[in-house]
Amino acid sequence: MRTILPYQALLIAIFVITAGATSCTKLNITKYYRRHHPALDSIEDTYRKAYSKKPFSIEFTDRPFDRVSLELITDTLTYIYEYRIGETRLQDTLKKYGYDSLPIDWLITRMHSMECTWIDKLDYYEEQQRHSLIYLSLWPRAFNSPFVNKKYYILTYFQQPQYFDNQGRLLSGRRRRHIRKINASVFFRLNDKVAYTISDRFR
Amino acid sequence: MNRFAPIRIILLLLTLALGRAGFANIDTARHTSASQQALELIKNIKLPDSSIWWPNIKLNLFIENLKANITEPLKMYQGSNTNFCGYAAFSYLPLQDDPVGWTHFMLTLYLNGEAEWNNIVFRPSKEIHQAAGTLRFKGILDIRPADQLWFLALADHFRSYLNFFNRRFHPGSEDTFWAACNYGKFNRMIRQMLGWHVTAHGSDLFRPHFHDLFDYLTNCLQTGTTYLYVNNTYLHKKNHNKFRGSFPTHYIVLESITRLPGDGDRVDIIYWDYGGRTLRQVDLRFLKKILFGVSHCTPPQHS
Repeated sequence: MRTILPYQALLIAIFVITAGATSCTKLNITKYYRRHHPALDSIEDTYRKAYSKKPFSIEFTDRPFDRVSLELITDTLTYIYEYRIGETRLQDTLKKYGYDSLPIDWLITRMHSMECTWIDKLDYYEEQQRHSLIYLSLWPRAFNSPFVNKKYYILTYFQQPQYFDNQGRLLSGRRRRHIRKINASVFFRLNDKVAYTISDRFR
Repeated sequence: MNRFAPIRIILLLLTLALGRAGFANIDTARHTSASQQALELIKNIKLPDSSIWWPNIKLNLFIENLKANITEPLKMYQGSNTNFCGYAAFSYLPLQDDPVGWTHFMLTLYLNGEAEWNNIVFRPSKEIHQAAGTLRFKGILDIRPADQLWFLALADHFRSYLNFFNRRFHPGSEDTFWAACNYGKFNRMIRQMLGWHVTAHGSDLFRPHFHDLFDYLTNCLQTGTTYLYVNNTYLHKKNHNKFRGSFPTHYIVLESITRLPGDGDRVDIIYWDYGGRTLRQVDLRFLKKILFGVSHCTPPQHS
């Protein structure tokens, strides 16, 4: 009978751990959303309301979620500023450009605790009509494995119920039956208005 | 014979007559023309509802797109996840400096399936004729068929070593090296199409050295239009990977650079890309790190 050499056993062990970690990360996003959807949905809701008053996006630029970058969008110019969490300059900037600091502070705190690395509003077009969605990128430590590349878990919140095929893939419309891509990724159903994908880019 | 042929011949003659009037003005005004003239050009021309050359372009969207580019040239958007940034950045010059010339070129291209600009004849391939108007999931580019046509025609005409393995357009090529624009090609487009004088420092592989980058860029801004060829993985970060490729990927138009008082090497830069202007604070060290090329462009009379 053929014996397994120590280095072969080590290789098998690495393969099993890597495969396990990878498959776990793929399975957990639906469970993660089910467990955390009140918190995630409240981030989306607060952001959508605040954005409608004055557009902006929020990005955490580092892994410890210590640095936050704000994109403040005006008609003529987009201002991009980066701060350490808690820096007073941030409040000064919001005041200078006429933003309501209350929802933005709340969002930064909540995004920090949920390990949400980016939130923005994106436009998409269907039958020549403009629609918008909220794009939320998560980077939870629970999903990371030392053996796999960094992956972001992207949630998209639509304003209307969407169409999905029988494999749960997001479609571009009832008639066309084309798979809709957002940022070059195929999205999957979480519920009628929320879809997810796993991506190596957070935006 | 095509039933639209007589109409098309009349329209073509009308177009050329209008175009000549426009170009005569451009010659005297040295490539500077008013948006109003370009809008008049569109208003006075009758185009067939559908084009045999561009079966997937809807006329109403095409006209709306031309008008939008003329009235708001800074809102031209390359489309999400495409490699059209070089062509979008290039468009910054003709749309602002010569909207009549650009409009005439686009209308002729729509009518005839081919057009000439500064003695360069654009004859887009069959694949381009089919593809224009079909690009989807690219943001507002989805409903901008004239921009699709413009980007595709430029990418189809101007080639470089990046096209070695991507010679012909296939569906999806807009996201590949087929649509990418290396530094030499970018400068060549400005020189050949617009006749502008371009002083270029940089390359696709090595970063240029500037003794005093701030002074150099300030001087460039005072005397012409300045393009920066940058590594966008730092400027417009999309992931948190520690190891990133050290190569340029993006073109931006630098509009302003100012030192922040009492803040050392930190500067405010205002630049144009992705259909809008952005202000951000960066270190000059960071700017040097991401900078692979500076193209200083001046119109013919300054060269």
